[in-house]
Amino acid sequence: MILWLFPLLSVVLKFKDDSALVRRLRERDPAAMSDLYDRYGRIAYSLILRVVNNSAVAEDLVQETFLRVWNRVQAFDPERGALGPWVLTVARNRAIDYVRSVEGRNQPAALEIDRLEHPSLFRDFEADMMNAGRLRALAGAFGKLTDKQRTVIELAYYQGMSQTEIADRMQTPLGTVKTWARTALQLLRDEMSRVEAV
Amino acid sequence: MNHDELREICDMYALGLAEPAEREEIERHLAEGSAETQALLRSAMAMATLLGAMTPEQAPPSRLRRAVSALVKPRGFSWMWLSALGGMAAALVAVVTWFHGQDQQRIHELVDARLELRRANLELARYQQAMRFLDSPETRLVGFGQGQQQQPRGNVFVNASGGVMLIAANLPQLAAGRTYEMWLIPRGQAPRPAGLFKVRADGSAVHILEGQVDTRSLGAVAVSDEPEAGSPAPSTTPIIVAPVSGL
Repeated sequence: MILWLFPLLSVVLKFKDDSALVRRLRERDPAAMSDLYDRYGRIAYSLILRVVNNSAVAEDLVQETFLRVWNRVQAFDPERGALGPWVLTVARNRAIDYVRSVEGRNQPAALEIDRLEHPSLFRDFEADMMNAGRLRALAGAFGKLTDKQRTVIELAYYQGMSQTEIADRMQTPLGTVKTWARTALQLLRDEMSRVEAV
Repeated sequence: MNHDELREICDMYALGLAEPAEREEIERHLAEGSAETQALLRSAMAMATLLGAMTPEQAPPSRLRRAVSALVKPRGFSWMWLSALGGMAAALVAVVTWFHGQDQQRIHELVDARLELRRANLELARYQQAMRFLDSPETRLVGFGQGQQQQPRGNVFVNASGGVMLIAANLPQLAAGRTYEMWLIPRGQAPRPAGLFKVRADGSAVHILEGQVDTRSLGAVAVSDEPEAGSPAPSTTPIIVAPVSGL
């Protein structure tokens, strides 16, 4: 049921099967790039399109995403790395970098971007971190958020806005936005933790 | 900072919501090799990944697979656009020629060159946008700071149907967390935000606000030093004020 609701989940949950693909990418096998796209092209395109809302731009940014993965895969651990989450993070960062540039917003520090998509962060992802139960809990928790809380999370995730920028966009005091963000994340985290506790 | 507070900041960090001081704290923990922070951040990244997996699915066009696959395959080269990039084109051709038919390590370097070329094309598009603005017969020019060697100087180009373009030099570098913001000031009214922009290392900047402008009521274009998210109204004394009355 949950996979039917979120078909992209089935892709990222298979990251444990990617070690051979990562090895081929590290060996610079051009055919591995096609296989990488077959596995993660759809999810990368869907996420980027959701952010930039322009199919031509999304196509360009998908190419940049896969180039970036190709160029950095030597630092990726084929045995312990989670390829799907990494590709998704790189895709999100490319898209957010684009919309921030187009909208004239300040770019995040290069160090921050590099840190958030550094291959070392995607090592030793445990299966219990990402599974259908946790996604079901996350989706359920998302439905429990107030409209304001949900907007804060969406502006952060899909537009890469800082809390200050969100406060400006929502014409709301920064302190209020911080409260919404903190309580929203706490709710999401608590609901997912219940899955772990079961 | 206790475990729950650290977890909260890691969740914020993974979504890009952490404040500068919190980001620095996380970076410091990571640099020190904190296993607790790494584990919490990994968990936060997993949650962010699940958020991404909730994105509605969209089918990419089939040509995208071919384009991605071609990125790392040696192939023929289109010469059409190279003339626009001058010297860089020659360098790229040398790179392509050198790496063509070489081993797969060379392919890696070719990909880097293509990425640089993509960035150069983006910069070229921006310059072309500026040139189209300047070429329009409707565009009117107003200078500011002329004859002043140390203070900001440059030109403001106003086009009723195209927008406002600022070209400035001698702009001071700003402190961390600060940015420049342009303002349109209608006569007798409060300044209106006209976009944020950065200054280059040499103190120059080009900023374009696209869209229609009421040139009859516009009194001045100004620039001030603002927080990085921008301000609804100038919070510091403008560093540039270019009167544009009578255009």
